[in-house]
Amino acid sequence: MAKIACFVEKYNFLDPTEAEALQKFKQTAEGMGHGFDFLFKQDISEIPKYDAVFIRATTDPLYTSYVVSKTAWELGIKVVDDPKSIQICGNKIHLYSLFEKHNIPRIPTIFLAKDDFHHKQISEVFDAFGRPVVLKAPYTSFSKYVERVACETSFRNVARRFFRRSDVLVVQKFMPTSFDWRVGVLNGEILYVCKYTMRKGKWKHGAKLRGKSKFIWGRSISLKREHVPTRFKTVALNACKIVGDGLYGVDIKEINGDYVVVEVNDNPSIYAGYEDLRDRDLYAKIITYLIN
Amino acid sequence: MLIVSNVNLTENDGAMKPTRFLNSSVRDYVLNINNDYRYMKMGYYVSLHAEVLGNPVVPRSENAIDAYRHPILLIKAAKHGIPTLPYMVTDSARQLIKKFGFPILIFAVNPFSNGGYRIANNETALYRALRSFGLNHKFTVCAQPLRGKMVSVKTVFGKNGCHGLSEEISRRFYEVFKLPICRLHIQECDGKAYLCGIQKIEIEELTAADLKLISEEIAQISRIGEKYWLR
Repeated sequence: MAKIACFVEKYNFLDPTEAEALQKFKQTAEGMGHGFDFLFKQDISEIPKYDAVFIRATTDPLYTSYVVSKTAWELGIKVVDDPKSIQICGNKIHLYSLFEKHNIPRIPTIFLAKDDFHHKQISEVFDAFGRPVVLKAPYTSFSKYVERVACETSFRNVARRFFRRSDVLVVQKFMPTSFDWRVGVLNGEILYVCKYTMRKGKWKHGAKLRGKSKFIWGRSISLKREHVPTRFKTVALNACKIVGDGLYGVDIKEINGDYVVVEVNDNPSIYAGYEDLRDRDLYAKIITYLIN
Repeated sequence: MLIVSNVNLTENDGAMKPTRFLNSSVRDYVLNINNDYRYMKMGYYVSLHAEVLGNPVVPRSENAIDAYRHPILLIKAAKHGIPTLPYMVTDSARQLIKKFGFPILIFAVNPFSNGGYRIANNETALYRALRSFGLNHKFTVCAQPLRGKMVSVKTVFGKNGCHGLSEEISRRFYEVFKLPICRLHIQECDGKAYLCGIQKIEIEELTAADLKLISEEIAQISRIGEKYWLR
């Protein structure tokens, strides 16, 4: 019998479907004869007591979750997400550099350095990618810090905001689609497949309504993993292979019948009734991976 | 050897500017000299770019992240035999008082930390520090007992020019993390020194003597050759 710690923060229980998914992880682990405890930020010193750590709080090299991951890693405890995956997926500069190196089909991307930011460069970006373009802060997650800009003024305003935290940011060609594929991958195998749709009039899955601070989300449509094309699977698995062999959520766009990778995310969302709708064995698969 | 530096070194060192390096695909051994190696700052991106190109680089991007994440700095340092004091990662004042008593040394573990510390001598100061460093209790802090006096030393290639207890800590820190330029926070008590924290330094803080030391170190590394990156 193994003891699994699930690192969470209070916000993980705010959405009832996420809270239900966390309970399902607990029930599945206990049903398999293992211990499963929720670990909060004040319990980090308890990590050595566990055999495996499963992180569900949002990951970023600057968040407590990275401290948890690295602490477990240094102690030789199995951890999902591992520190290397957090480093790569948590920084889009790192991720897209690896996509380029390993020739992963991707959205045309360039990097913009704070010290090199001037009028000429903005003009070159618009000449190369057309208008609008997408600006991404390297630390983007949950569709936040990704903005579409069509003129130099808004380009400068958004870039200035993103440069506060990062000295380099990402500029991408704007490639609108009505949905993004989301593929859950664990240890080089497809775990689940979803379509994350965009709301009418929006170009990303999560977006703010004009003048409101609250985020609204498009629909999540779940598909059985057996029903996806082979080429699609190959693209998703190759993208994950360059990051590691943990748990990932790959975002893929289908453009003119071909597939391009938007990004690989560590710590993918798993909400009851959404990601797990068609492939209900994902809980057991993740628990088994953690204890092996 | 390719030197990438945002610090104005002497002409003889032939350093490349970080932004130029980021746009290049040079294959060479890279020595990244920067006043700030914090995550998502230019010093970090230079090391990352070198690694993606497959170049051996000092410092490695992983070390740059880990050194500035306070609890990880302490775990890694202790693992490599650098003296450290017990620490606790928490957002609970009660837990800290129970474990350490006063005074307590507090470092932030939030994304916006610049590596500085606070000393809490009483409960009020502790609650204030937890609130401030925890960004209104959203993040934890990393706390240690304060048993002696704190010293902060500018460290260039593991040398801080103090010739005291802290010199040995600086040297060993550089052996493990290989960060050429930083400020170390060290606690001295009972004739011993303990590594407590790290902070970036401003370019203006580098004196002519520091620049001379950097040039000497570069010359020394050139003599050592490839072995320097394998250590």
